Amino acid sequence: MEKSEVLKQLNEIFIDELDNDRIVLKYETTANDVEDWDSLNHIQLVVAIEKKYKIRFSTQEIQGWKNIEELIDSINAKLS
Amino acid sequence: MLFVPIYILILLVTILIDYVAAIYIEKTEGHKRKFYLVISIISTCVVLFIFKYFNFFNDNIRLLAEVAHWNYSVQSLKILLPIGLSFHTFQSLSYVIEVYRGNQKAEKHFGIYALYVMFYPQLVAGPIERPQNMLHQFYEKHNFNYDDVTYGLKRMLWGYFKKVVIADRLAIYVNAVYNNSSHHNGTTLFVATLFFALQIYCDFSGYSDIAIGSARVMGFKLMTNFNRPFFSKNISELWRRWHISLSTWFNDYLFTPIVVALRSWGKLAVVFAVLVTFAVSGLWHGAGWPYVVYGLLHGIAVAYEFLTKKIRKKIFKNLPELVVKVTSTFLTFTFICFTYIFFRAATFTQATSIVHKILFDHGKLFIAENNWLMIYASVFLSILFISDFIEEYGSLKSLAFYNNKNLFIRHLSYCSLVIIILLFGVFDKNQFIYFQF
Repeated sequence: MEKSEVLKQLNEIFIDELDNDRIVLKYETTANDVEDWDSLNHIQLVVAIEKKYKIRFSTQEIQGWKNIEELIDSINAKLS
Repeated sequence: MLFVPIYILILLVTILIDYVAAIYIEKTEGHKRKFYLVISIISTCVVLFIFKYFNFFNDNIRLLAEVAHWNYSVQSLKILLPIGLSFHTFQSLSYVIEVYRGNQKAEKHFGIYALYVMFYPQLVAGPIERPQNMLHQFYEKHNFNYDDVTYGLKRMLWGYFKKVVIADRLAIYVNAVYNNSSHHNGTTLFVATLFFALQIYCDFSGYSDIAIGSARVMGFKLMTNFNRPFFSKNISELWRRWHISLSTWFNDYLFTPIVVALRSWGKLAVVFAVLVTFAVSGLWHGAGWPYVVYGLLHGIAVAYEFLTKKIRKKIFKNLPELVVKVTSTFLTFTFICFTYIFFRAATFTQATSIVHKILFDHGKLFIAENNWLMIYASVFLSILFISDFIEEYGSLKSLAFYNNKNLFIRHLSYCSLVIIILLFGVFDKNQFIYFQF
């Protein structure tokens, strides 16, 4: 899937899960840039993403993403 | 919490095991990797268990046996807890786990690895470092650097001020009241509890300042351990600001693995993982039920905040921001003080009786020795508060005392701090609170 398409979809998931419609994700966005994206909510986001794309991440992956781009790459790798 | 020369062998054994295990973890693949990881974790934890937790578990089993009329006769161990054991054990665990996860290469140089575990500024009470932050620093050449030396010395000076001027002064009152809590009324216990919260902050963050500062003088950068925690607006935020090296440790190595494994449970997974993590974190502080209760209370608060986040957000939206901020900070600090009753009390029964007295038994405030203690405490706490307040609200940062742009004010603050420490410091060989853990 196109990277920009995934970014758009992720943005919707984040807005929904974190209940904040001001979130604008970019490729270089990290957890520090998004209000309420802490370790407690991280897993909620992961579950929502897994549900949306019908994929399952490994523990290593869930703990490894440094920014949104790495998360998108990880999703695309699973989908292809 | 004592240094016994023979105990150096414990350090040596754990260092050796983890050093060898990490090399094998890196060399091998599949199940064998996991096997070496488990061996390393178990042997490191066994040492911690024997010295710190054996008697606690043994006593509890004995109590259970008495109730159930079993025949149980395992004797308690008569050993002293080696100083810093909980800290360097966790630092060693962090190393082998990071090697296992592929985030860190196994260290081949035995001396460098031993230095990672025993680096003296943070050996006895942290910050609990990560291999990724420390190991490469031991390979770098450290020349004399004026900025590092002055920054380090300033940080140490501030740490000593917090420790000997504030924490140890407050300790006189806290100890007098808490060690005889049955003789004191709720008003006095309330003030002592408030003082204890401030004491432990000054004691431990002061220690961290000294550790970070002394490492920086030599050119080493240790991680931040405190970030003005009492300005937190909720308990989740508190744990991102208080003893950061421990809370991130628990987050990375306990909370996240649990929550990832159980994520199909939905929100329940988060609540369960939070409660387990905080209970273990309480137990990490000390082998006793009051510590577990202390941890669990924080766990319940964090779980509550997680579950009610959306509702609270909606309610707060309609209120003025300043009111929300001030009220939340006040309520958070009140809750912290409440949990410290369990942290400081010797037993659970004592803690509950103190809570009862604070709520229902008010009277005249006990003043230790003379009024000076209260006056000193107020003056020096005000200095700390103003300084923290200035740092918290960055726009005023240039006003901070010893970072002031004005040379005169800067030097005046150094001199005043030294004089305050010498004149008003308490020098009665008081240990740091966290040395006992």
